[in-house]
Amino acid sequence: MLSRIADSLFWLARYMERAEGLLRVTATHNLLSLDKDVNGPLTWRPVLETFTSTGEEEIKAIEGNTGAALKKLLTDTANNNSLKSIIGKARENARGIQDYITKEVWEEVNSFYHLINQPALDNRLSNYEAADILDLFTRHSVLYTGITDITMARGIGWGFMNLGKYIERCLETIVLTDKQYAVNQYKVDEIKDIMQWRHLLMSLSGYELHLKTYRSYQYTHDVLHQVLFNEDFPHSVIYSLGRIDRHLQDVTKGHISEENAALIRNFGRLYSKVKHLEIDDLNNQTLKPFLAELRHDLLHFTNLLSQKFFSYA
Amino acid sequence: MSLPTLLEQYDYATGIWDEMCDRQQIREQYSKVIATLKQFNVSDLQQKDRLAGELFMNQGITFTVYSEDAGIERIFPFDIIPRIITGQEWDHIEAGIKQRLKALNLFLKDIYNEQQILKDNIVPASLIASCPHYTREVFGIKVPHDVYVHISGIDLIRGEDGLFYVLEDNLRTPSGVSYMLENREVTKRIFPELLAASHVRRVSNYPLMLHEILLQMGPGQLSNPLVVLLTPGIYNSAYYEHTFLARQMGIPLVEGRDLVVNNHKVYMKTTNGLEQVHVIYRRIDDEFLDPLMFRPDSALGIPGLMSAYRMGNVAIVNAVGNGVADDKAVYAYVPAMIRYYLNEEPILPNVPTYELSDPDARQYVFDNYTQMVIKRTNQSGGYGMVMGNKVAPEEWTRAKAAIEAEPRSFIAQPIIKLSTVPCFIDGTFQARHVDLRPYALCGPQGVQIVPGGLTRVALRKDSLIVNSSQGGGSKDTWVID
Repeated sequence: MLSRIADSLFWLARYMERAEGLLRVTATHNLLSLDKDVNGPLTWRPVLETFTSTGEEEIKAIEGNTGAALKKLLTDTANNNSLKSIIGKARENARGIQDYITKEVWEEVNSFYHLINQPALDNRLSNYEAADILDLFTRHSVLYTGITDITMARGIGWGFMNLGKYIERCLETIVLTDKQYAVNQYKVDEIKDIMQWRHLLMSLSGYELHLKTYRSYQYTHDVLHQVLFNEDFPHSVIYSLGRIDRHLQDVTKGHISEENAALIRNFGRLYSKVKHLEIDDLNNQTLKPFLAELRHDLLHFTNLLSQKFFSYA
Repeated sequence: MSLPTLLEQYDYATGIWDEMCDRQQIREQYSKVIATLKQFNVSDLQQKDRLAGELFMNQGITFTVYSEDAGIERIFPFDIIPRIITGQEWDHIEAGIKQRLKALNLFLKDIYNEQQILKDNIVPASLIASCPHYTREVFGIKVPHDVYVHISGIDLIRGEDGLFYVLEDNLRTPSGVSYMLENREVTKRIFPELLAASHVRRVSNYPLMLHEILLQMGPGQLSNPLVVLLTPGIYNSAYYEHTFLARQMGIPLVEGRDLVVNNHKVYMKTTNGLEQVHVIYRRIDDEFLDPLMFRPDSALGIPGLMSAYRMGNVAIVNAVGNGVADDKAVYAYVPAMIRYYLNEEPILPNVPTYELSDPDARQYVFDNYTQMVIKRTNQSGGYGMVMGNKVAPEEWTRAKAAIEAEPRSFIAQPIIKLSTVPCFIDGTFQARHVDLRPYALCGPQGVQIVPGGLTRVALRKDSLIVNSSQGGGSKDTWVID
């Protein structure tokens, strides 16, 4: 497979996964913002801080204004990480590999792009249609995932797409978890109200699973278990790493080289850090550095991966 | 309003060949289609028109128009009423194109090798020497099976007399074939019953025919040569077509930066290292192919490609240097080439052409410029064209000065009123001018043409310019038996 195509597949999948994450967080926040929070009115600050590089002054100006925050997150082209920019970049990548991806995948990405570029969108976001629009976008995002799964050929290209997808998902889970625990100064042993955790769990679509699986009232501890170690939770860190492991094998299969071996070793070290960890090892002091190190290691691995496979220009 | 009334109001000019109507009578080939159309009402057709637009947009079948340095993405306007050619007319066209391509291929072989045609004074040597597309760098290079023009799109027009004329030969990287194929696919969606009842000859096997020819250009000892399609990238105006053809043929679509030349061989950069490429179907112009040989600032090309080509390690389709044969001044000599190489009379006539480097012809054109169209010999896409009947006086003064400065760069042709066909515009049927670009493929076994081609239509009323960059659209083209 052409290195350029592998590169574009990787980034197409990453951007589409990023869009999905952004949409889920935004939709959750939008719904919860209608209720009054225990700590006063709900602010868009954490979402803006996570997904945009907006300056402090601007955040102050728009954190209480749902319409403005939604515009910033979804349609502002000056924001490199708005949904519009992300989908634009995903489409750009898909355009360059139209001969490789299926017609169906291309048409879905393309129609998503045209949908978000409708001129009337900004107005509709400031009205009470925001929830409907977020639903519609989320459906497109899910549709993309389904179409990709059904129509794309398996093999090495599929491997690169999934590497992109699960690296992005894993990073997203780490970042959102870190954000949520920072609110409590990383205190793992404190028992908190489940309502505090609803936001994180719903953003990762794990709220129902949590209610079904965990029966104690140690929410802070349980949620941490779920997002890091629960193998059945498709947004958990361990699940994403397991997928990365599998697809890394797919793309290196049959080509024995020192470079490939080094890449596999590097990932193995990172994977076992999570796999062989006891949850009780994470306490008020170690949680923050652990999350930071995990993120750093994953980014480093991603760099190695692109050096190995995507160098062509 | 009902369709029968609309059809009665169909207004076509006298003195112009209308392909549907002849003295208030509907020609036989259109009668069946019209009878079926009468069962619909206007809103049905508008509905179909909208559906067609959506189909094109969602598939991303768009092209880029360049003006004032900004590229804008548009869909290529599509008119839902098919253009119809009878089987008999088509057989004549097909024979004419085959003959013409045979002669042009022989000309290219001759001009880059022995140059007999110059020695025998059939084509003046000065004309070739002054042609910017005559590529000295490929002189003496042997190409596989002596095929130079693998893919061509010869533009035909139909004059007042109903005869088809050749307007120009596109022998470099003609585009538009994907529109021909997609137009038919869209018609299948909007007029299924009509298409099925009309016995329209099939076009959909074009990509397979092309793939076959590309494979045959590979080195003989290889059973499965690696064929790639080389594109300038996603910003090219015909990028959609490149992806379309690559997908239909199942070959990799590569950019210049995906390829590298090592030891006079071309390789593709893959995730598992380098892989040798044997045939390149390129959609990049000659001058950008190899920065070491042609334009040094080209970022689209592959350094060293021409050396691999000269060594015979890679086949390039179409051959490099074909521009000399579709130069608009050389065009005037194609009938002479047919007589010289084939000892036959041309089946399809040329449009009379005045070379402005000839002082007498130039004077004649200046005296009669209102009936002439002036074209640059090295431009395509309708750029740099002066229509004598529409030009403003000061613009003409400027054009005249440009011609006198470099007369070799211009030719003039009498303005031919292209034939008209009905188009569905703003809820009515209106006559618009069209041309026809059949796509011919040439391989070791000779020339093959899919029946039909791309009908380009000038959507502006009374306009004769059909180029997509100048407000043109297209129609599905039916050859019916």
